Amino acid sequence: MIQRNPINLCLSAVFLCLFAVVIPLWFGPYQVTLVTEIIIFALYAVSYNLLLGHAGLLSFGHAMFFGTGAYTTAIALKHIGGLPIYGAILLSVIATTIIGLVIGGLLLRHKGSYFALLTLAFNALFYAIASKWYSITGGDDGLSISRPDLNLVFTTLNMSDITTFYFFTLICVGSVILFCWYFTHTAMGETVLLLRENEERMKFIGYNTNITRLILFTFTGALAGFAGSFYALFFEFASVSVISIDMTTTVLLMTFIGGSGAFGGPILGAIIFIYLQDFLSDITDRWPLIMGLIFILMVLYVPKGTSGIISMLKKRLFEGKQKHGQIDTGEQQI
Amino acid sequence: MADIPVFFLHGLAYASLLFLVSSGLTLVFGLMNVLNFAHAALYMLGAYFSFSIFKITGHFWLSLLLCPLILFIIGALVEKFLLRRVHRHGHLHELLLTFGLAYIITELIKFFWGNYPLSIQLEGFLTESVTFFSINYPVYRLFIIACALVVGLLMYLVIYKTRAGIIVRAAVNDSQMVDALGINVQLVFMCVFAVGAALSGFAGVIAGPLLTTYPGMASDILIDAFVVIVIGGFGSLGGAMLSSIIIGELQSFGVLLFPSLALVLVYLLMAIVLIVKPSGLFGEEQ
Repeated sequence: MIQRNPINLCLSAVFLCLFAVVIPLWFGPYQVTLVTEIIIFALYAVSYNLLLGHAGLLSFGHAMFFGTGAYTTAIALKHIGGLPIYGAILLSVIATTIIGLVIGGLLLRHKGSYFALLTLAFNALFYAIASKWYSITGGDDGLSISRPDLNLVFTTLNMSDITTFYFFTLICVGSVILFCWYFTHTAMGETVLLLRENEERMKFIGYNTNITRLILFTFTGALAGFAGSFYALFFEFASVSVISIDMTTTVLLMTFIGGSGAFGGPILGAIIFIYLQDFLSDITDRWPLIMGLIFILMVLYVPKGTSGIISMLKKRLFEGKQKHGQIDTGEQQI
Repeated sequence: MADIPVFFLHGLAYASLLFLVSSGLTLVFGLMNVLNFAHAALYMLGAYFSFSIFKITGHFWLSLLLCPLILFIIGALVEKFLLRRVHRHGHLHELLLTFGLAYIITELIKFFWGNYPLSIQLEGFLTESVTFFSINYPVYRLFIIACALVVGLLMYLVIYKTRAGIIVRAAVNDSQMVDALGINVQLVFMCVFAVGAALSGFAGVIAGPLLTTYPGMASDILIDAFVVIVIGGFGSLGGAMLSSIIIGELQSFGVLLFPSLALVLVYLLMAIVLIVKPSGLFGEEQ
């Protein structure tokens, strides 16, 4: 766990807020679309990293939550007339929480490779259901929806305007990301770290590690479902691609490009990934190949990702300062 | 229900293919403790190489001989230059590496062979059918079953009855000790991984004429092979064989009896095994 300098933290928060507000005003709607996508994927990646980076659980099935969230929103908006936008989002979170509890209960006795394999297998089950249950999910055709307007007490916001939706996403998803950050600093969040470092010891002290893991798994599942719900609202569409293994690969790439060691890593990863994808897909149809190569190189040579490089550079730059007396709080491993 | 024996044989043929894929996966996992997510991608690579060799030379037997060799070399290179490097970073990185590798191989295949299905038209006696007990059945499917039996037997004999098998099993238990006894453990692991890759290549060649060769074939079989391993128990060859047969027959008869549920049945079975005996039918308790 890296202890942050509070001034540093405030600065980066202010910078992020400015960045988020300036973008829609300064740049055109195309940039707004990209940034909305980034915010949604940032939450998805952050939730994934709570599993991978914080608890050391490698899941290849995170797309089942993301996809279920997206499908629940799409199906709810399609079938329940007059459903408010937050109703659809809430339903997604409830659905993914239930699924997280059930699947987590089945899988969490296993760890490591076995867990990774099982999550992949269950993801395949969800994919099969989504592609075969034509009457509900629309099969390969997918479901088309339109964003309902947001009905606040005093006014109604027109959600079909991308800038309005961008601010809605920024506030909702952004605050959930902040909540995740807060979560990592709670007792529960710290417990999760201990789980990764030394589970035997934790059991010895008297923690029920299985419960901790189940809560974390369900929590990250619900977060991914929340992100998935926004994904469906953003694209106004849900198809089998949201629940396929490619969606897991995407989040894995983001997390690894950004770095799984720090909380901000996946967010950075989402930014890099979306812009890189936007850039590469203009040049070549084979951009996934380049992404894959980047991923392998990251795993081989830069296991800490971009955020790892940045913190290393920071350390190098400020090394001189720390020598003057102060205790090094740079990297305190619990 | 006169078709029951035919469906049984269909199930057995698919089970044989599943066994060929999952045996390599089990071998590498059981002996090296590496779950190879790229295994199915290597299998797909075998199928595509076989397609090209068959197209150029017109000999199926040649591709059956050459593809495992090519995959053996690829497997050895992957182990030497990629897997070994991340080994010290731990388990997670090995999984991530093989996962990334699978992704890249799939993309490379789309790049070189195109993103559409290809099919191999065999010639000679493999395309014919034989009649026995008043059942008319294609020779090729029987050939697959025979291949699986031979491979299973060979693997058993090599691992449990030869000196090479003893060395490999010893290297798993205590690699430092085996190293001290003057055996090149790195080479042993490289060979094991390469043999696993060769097995997947062999399965790929076999699968080519039975199923179509297309970029999604890897993920299709990977999930089934994983389910086989979960049900059979990790690293158990006998378990892999038995659960291959269970899955093969379940799919074959599932399509016959409950067409709409056939896909879910396999997962249902997996969930039941997970609840009742999490380590699988033949697995050791973790």
